[in-house]
Amino acid sequence: MGTARRYGPYGGSFVPETLVPALDELDRVWRTARGDPAFRRELARLSRSFGGRPTPLYFARNLTRRGRGAEIWLKREDLVHGGAHKFNNALGQGLLTVRMGKPRLIAETGAGQHGVATAMVGAALGLETEVFMGEVDMDRQKPNVDRMHLLGAKVIPVTTGRRTLKDAINAALRDWIANVRTTHYLIGSAVGPYPFPAIVADFQSVIGREIRRQSLAEFGRLPDLAIACVGGGSNAIGTFHPLLRTRVELLGVEAGGPRGSRGAASLTYGRPGVLHGSFSYLLQNDDGQVSDTESVSAGLDYAGVGPEHSWLKETGRARYIAVHDEDALRAFHWLAEDEGILPALEPSHALFAAVREARRRPNQRIVVTLSGRGDKDLGVVLDAAR
Amino acid sequence: MTRTSGWCSTPLADALADARRSGRTIVVPYLLVDRRRRARLALTVRALRDAGATALELGYPFSDPIADGPVLAAAADRALGDGTDWSDLVRSVRTASPVLPTAVMTYANPVVRHGLVRALAELASAGASGLIVPDLSLEESLPWQRASQRVGLSLVLMAAPGASADRAARIARASRGFLYLVAYYGTTGRASEGPAADLGPIVTAVRRAAPDRPILLGFGVRDRRSAERALALGVDGVVVGTALEEAIARDPSPRALGDWLREIAAARRAPAVG
Repeated sequence: MGTARRYGPYGGSFVPETLVPALDELDRVWRTARGDPAFRRELARLSRSFGGRPTPLYFARNLTRRGRGAEIWLKREDLVHGGAHKFNNALGQGLLTVRMGKPRLIAETGAGQHGVATAMVGAALGLETEVFMGEVDMDRQKPNVDRMHLLGAKVIPVTTGRRTLKDAINAALRDWIANVRTTHYLIGSAVGPYPFPAIVADFQSVIGREIRRQSLAEFGRLPDLAIACVGGGSNAIGTFHPLLRTRVELLGVEAGGPRGSRGAASLTYGRPGVLHGSFSYLLQNDDGQVSDTESVSAGLDYAGVGPEHSWLKETGRARYIAVHDEDALRAFHWLAEDEGILPALEPSHALFAAVREARRRPNQRIVVTLSGRGDKDLGVVLDAAR
Repeated sequence: MTRTSGWCSTPLADALADARRSGRTIVVPYLLVDRRRRARLALTVRALRDAGATALELGYPFSDPIADGPVLAAAADRALGDGTDWSDLVRSVRTASPVLPTAVMTYANPVVRHGLVRALAELASAGASGLIVPDLSLEESLPWQRASQRVGLSLVLMAAPGASADRAARIARASRGFLYLVAYYGTTGRASEGPAADLGPIVTAVRRAAPDRPILLGFGVRDRRSAERALALGVDGVVVGTALEEAIARDPSPRALGDWLREIAAARRAPAVG
């Protein structure tokens, strides 16, 4: 049912004791809500009328020609309200927050997409919203900072560490420890202590459910391969979950960073460890200190990964690879010029892998989750082109 | 195997139990291990002992210390920048533990990375007698309890505001050496925060569940007044971390630190009224 505290040895809840009652309450409220038809109706109604779901499954004819092999289909999460899949989880957890009677939301954000989604949901549900964002990310994802402000959220710059996603999560956790009675921490990825990885997978699984249904409608069977990018891994787990008990191959694509670096590819280059409440693959040194990461995409620039991905890797049910910055940037331009779609840099990693995989797979069908749109990345992309 | 409360005797557990029986205020200063400060460590620890410290907490710096406020987080950053690693922790334990019973405070991951049993055995053989892990919830603590018991470390668990009486009791029964009671909702070192209002029932529940277990209040204790406010809750003593780090920044001389700690060790519980 996806409600286990652990995925094999991975997961758990390594948190300061102060947070335990809040995690217990969240677990209770979530379990009750998922069995409550009224909650499910409200979630479905708002997903449709506020979020714009279902999103289309699009046959990328020209990208397919470029691959000269398998058909490439895009799951268009870039068309969800706000421009990314992050909305799916923000809405779900926002509704849980209302059920818990907490008036305030906090969130971390890397690329800013989760911050924007939380700000939108906070506005719609009447919840005070504060978003923690590393200063480096605020600079490279400026359009999203402006959007959050306009949506009525407060953006709190994080100036510690490398001033990116990991540091934003640290700051959000510290705020939560202090304000846990009145505040819900709306974690944006499939990371964190139990029950967060399970809740995020639950609310993001709408992606994979729609892929199943739409694949059957469009080409009469399930795809041969599903591909998604993995930072913390929320769009990937949402894509994979409903396909776990099928024969569909699953491929997660991590940020490989600049050539010659480990980037932010925790599953590819890391070793299991404890960060932000769960036991999972982690980029760390021999002494157990968490490593600095590097990626052109702020949303994948994170040393850890959701614990369920660690288990899927270990069991071999999913495969994980790393794609370097420059290849992700190439794929960005391919999609823009071939298909008239500006992808976010995060799924650009998955798109590169898709074209490469397509070449080896004539007569197959690949679905790539296009987790977000690229408007926020124009500055980075134009800089890189110079 | 019996499970009486005194079943795990360590220098830490014994020193605190002694102090409690004789009615002395228990004071446990917290020092962050820092390679650049190692040369001074022996003198510092002796000064703290002479000023009335009952035991010592040696903190291991971690890259992502989510339970720590700005002062200790910055200190950890600095220590890692100084090149501090596990070998400095082990050496510091060797230096400190002959002077004061020593508990190691570390986040979970460095121990996991070095291997739970191996890391704990190494700390114990260096002379550590206690272990405190701020991101180890009761739910995750069983393997740690077993490994600690095996190598002769008292695994100190933390209880925090918001815990139900039942949960506080379970934590108290599982904790060894003492029970670490977190003073308020928040990270370490918030000077403005007094103890949370809901600590009273937790202290009562702990006393009922584990009558012999010393209770120390930590987070935000910075001087005699705040220590006395803590004692008024009925706890046996205090842990002082952030304020000591600040005192070291002002004047790291053993004499200054001794004078500073003596003031806190002089804290007494106000006689009960009525």
